[in-house]
Amino acid sequence: MDFFLHLVAMIRTLFFVFALAFIAACRRDVPIPDDIPDEDTGVVFNLDQVPYPKLSDYKFFTGALKNLNPNERVLPYEPITPLFSDYAHKSRFVWMMKDSSAQYVSDHSLFDFPDGTVFIKNFYYDNVVPSGERKILETRLLYKKEGEWKFADYIWNQDQSEAVYETNGSYVPVQWIDDQGDNQSLTFRIPSEVECFTCHKSNGNKIPIAPKPQNLDKDFSYPDGVKNQLVKWQEVGYLTGNVPGTIARVADWTDDTQPLETRVRSYLDINCGFCHSDGGHCNYRPIRLEFFKTLDPAMLGVCEIPQQFITPQLTHVIARSNIARSVMHFRMSSTDPQYMMPLLGRSVVHQEAVDLLGQYILSLTPICN
Amino acid sequence: MQKRILLSIMTLFSAMHLYAQQSCATAIPAVLGTTTASTSFGTTPPAPAHCMVLNGSESFLWYTFTPAVDTNVRVSTVTSTNTGLDTRISVFSGTCGALSCIAYGDDESAFLSIATFAATAGTTYYIVFDTYWGNMPIDFTISYVSTGGGGGPIPQLITFTTQGIPNGDNSRCVMDMNGDHIDDIVYTSGNTLRVHYQTAPATFTSTTHTISGTVTNAPSWSIAGGDMDNNGYNDLIYGGGSGASIIMANSTGTAYTHYSGGQYIFSQRTNVVDINNDGIADAFVCHDIDANVFYISNGSGGFTWNQGGLGANGGNYGSVWIDYDNDCDMDLYIAKCGSDPIDQLHRNNGDGTYTSVGVAAGLNDATENWSSTWADFDNDGDMDVFMGASSNWGGLSHKLYRNNGNGTFTNITAGSGFDLYYSNLGIENYPGDFNNDGWVDVYGLGGLIMFNDGDMTFTASTSPVAGAAVGDLNQDGALDLVAGTTIYKNNLTSNNYIVVSTVGVQSNKNGIGARVTVQTASGSQIRDVRSGQAFSSMQTLNAHFGIGQETAIEKITICWPSGVVDVINNPAINSHLVVVEGSTVSVQEELSQNLQVFPNPATSHLSISGLPANRVFALEIFDVTGKLISTQQVSENVTVDVQSLVPGIYVARISGEASQLNVKFIKE
Repeated sequence: MDFFLHLVAMIRTLFFVFALAFIAACRRDVPIPDDIPDEDTGVVFNLDQVPYPKLSDYKFFTGALKNLNPNERVLPYEPITPLFSDYAHKSRFVWMMKDSSAQYVSDHSLFDFPDGTVFIKNFYYDNVVPSGERKILETRLLYKKEGEWKFADYIWNQDQSEAVYETNGSYVPVQWIDDQGDNQSLTFRIPSEVECFTCHKSNGNKIPIAPKPQNLDKDFSYPDGVKNQLVKWQEVGYLTGNVPGTIARVADWTDDTQPLETRVRSYLDINCGFCHSDGGHCNYRPIRLEFFKTLDPAMLGVCEIPQQFITPQLTHVIARSNIARSVMHFRMSSTDPQYMMPLLGRSVVHQEAVDLLGQYILSLTPICN
Repeated sequence: MQKRILLSIMTLFSAMHLYAQQSCATAIPAVLGTTTASTSFGTTPPAPAHCMVLNGSESFLWYTFTPAVDTNVRVSTVTSTNTGLDTRISVFSGTCGALSCIAYGDDESAFLSIATFAATAGTTYYIVFDTYWGNMPIDFTISYVSTGGGGGPIPQLITFTTQGIPNGDNSRCVMDMNGDHIDDIVYTSGNTLRVHYQTAPATFTSTTHTISGTVTNAPSWSIAGGDMDNNGYNDLIYGGGSGASIIMANSTGTAYTHYSGGQYIFSQRTNVVDINNDGIADAFVCHDIDANVFYISNGSGGFTWNQGGLGANGGNYGSVWIDYDNDCDMDLYIAKCGSDPIDQLHRNNGDGTYTSVGVAAGLNDATENWSSTWADFDNDGDMDVFMGASSNWGGLSHKLYRNNGNGTFTNITAGSGFDLYYSNLGIENYPGDFNNDGWVDVYGLGGLIMFNDGDMTFTASTSPVAGAAVGDLNQDGALDLVAGTTIYKNNLTSNNYIVVSTVGVQSNKNGIGARVTVQTASGSQIRDVRSGQAFSSMQTLNAHFGIGQETAIEKITICWPSGVVDVINNPAINSHLVVVEGSTVSVQEELSQNLQVFPNPATSHLSISGLPANRVFALEIFDVTGKLISTQQVSENVTVDVQSLVPGIYVARISGEASQLNVKFIKE
């Protein structure tokens, strides 16, 4: 019995070693894609030549560009709880080179993505004044080359026919009618490369933020039917190897059937956790707002004394039962650059999220010392 | 041997007079503050055991202390009177014959001692000094100390009287706005600039100016000011979250215009300083997520954008311009935080270039700090630095560095008093003499005033508010605070002072970068004229000096960024002195206008021409660290041999009877 198990283990190990060697050899030997469109999809993506000057150069989309109609193997996806970006809508896609795939690392870690992975994220508003139509502002690409992630941002023109490569930030005034029929207006910030890096950063390296099992383990409505995103990724070959059947996933922060605390922790993870993490921009403050860490109330800041003095009234990061004493609530409610959190990516208050946090704070007892 | 005899005599002497401090049973109560130590000692050691090893021949000096509150108690022999002694402290709880050691101190600051212990209100503790190392203290101090983060009580050592800012305005900007060198209060909101002019002590007249143009950035992260076009009226720079705005005053200080280059900047600390030493002040902006930027002024409202060369990458939080190497030009220190926390020191080479020297100086510190505090804390003639931590990340906290006078710094935090407040964090740390005792204090650590005891140790005091702007809002020579909608007027009356305003002629109008030295019988004190200290606020541009109980000032020397040196003899104390560059020197103008030092760079010889005829001057050559290399006498049209100098940057200082001029040159 024992001998048999050992044998199996040995064979498994050997197979694994061979497989690794094979993969390594394959990767080394993979010819660099030439300019000829990928035979399967028509996407054009030459790692030696990107970023291309125009968004259309990639052929990520078919038909009129503004329809964002994905080419084959350009797969739409959506995180369970998204980052708030001044109420902009987003449509997101992922694409990988032929015969390459990502591997599972852990529920809360980024997948181990292969070189040539591209995330395509379009920012737009609907019911824009005066046309009442959709207006796409920018398309952000995040792609992996030689093991490192790169940014490329494309700014859409007025007639929505093209988007051009730009590394400098800019401002776009936007006016739209929201879902309640109310007029809204703000100045949308298209970030410069250094701003992108401020959030997409871990230990000095550029990183994606959302594509982790905990954020993607949900159903998505594909053209051919509803399916769990992780299952879909496996089906199309974007995800190979072992993926656990059960993922410790975040909640949809708007889902009021979920526990209040889970919703708050989920919101904080995607909106704050990238900075408030060991390798993040705000690593020198003791709170840690990643979902897998906030089960510990201290990591969430509950009854923790803030390191940065603002006013004597703000005594704790989160003061149980007391919104007026909670720094986190104050900072999320502020648009003053020196106080607001997150520091970047919003110019208005995400009032619905602030309300949720307020509800959560009021639910906590006993009061902090 | 001599010591031993002295000790024997002292022991003999004390044995003849039975004083109360000689044993546990006869220990006498000590109180908070300073106690003059008895000179009569006993020889019975604490029972059942002493805190530290004994050699059997020690003498012991016994006190008790009973705190009124639950707190941490600090017993220290670190006082100026004990300098040079070697002491030990032990602290016990319990009763005589059943004592247990709870704390001891040995060599916390040089060979002096500090013992800190957690104490319970109403409990009596035994404090015992011994002569294991030979000395008893001449005096010692007992104080309450905080464990930080709202811990134990800290006394408030000076008091303030509050007064509202007119109109209910809030402000963190204190400086002169109408050219009278008296501090005013500035309120900003969008295109509104409201100045509360101090027309009489603590009396304000408010004027609302509407800034022309659209003000695109608010001073949300920081504000600084100075005259960036030499018209006699101070301008402002706003450090905003996505850019910087410069607000320029007109030639009568009655109207303001907005300027912005439009560049994206995640601003942090802003400063006004003459970066290229052309006699016109420029604007510097720390950038959180990219290389720092600076706007070089053309002197008429126009600016040239620059980025790079003065701090790269990001994590740049607290820039401050200081003269650390005593060459009368401004060097740049950047307190850094976050993903790239190693602080940087950029030395001004005097020729428009800067060299990063933080590593060589020993100041490449990883403390997470948003500001650093530069002052000559030990009054030895050079700027030391306190780095107040904003976070304890990485196990780091506050650091106090002494300037060694040779371009390097030594960490002397242990025993300084700052080490007792590692958990009192803050982003704002500002140097000022808040009790006018002639020693520069630190206002920071989240709202403490760390009073300088004069021996590189500091005693904590609370303050009524953290992170305030600092200036003199009632013209009484004591530093006041402005925060929110409130003026906090310092009630201090006990010590003397002088306030010096610098008016540049060849140098920038504010004299930013000038080195002001006040000499009294007690010694000398120095200040740099600076704009934009601590993290976010703007503080008075006047150089403020407390002089303690001194009743006379021998002289004030001002070394201007141009190289001109003014000397004012016997100025009145308790006064506000305005000094115009070059106004006190007779031959100085001849020196500065006609003097030529050439060739520059020099290879073998350096010629000096244009010295006034028939006079003898001293020529001293210093290297970049301020070290004196050579001294000789020179007169009209002289050539000196510089072949032996190692290639590098040097300062030639030419001194006459009442004047002095510094000229930088490069030896190739």
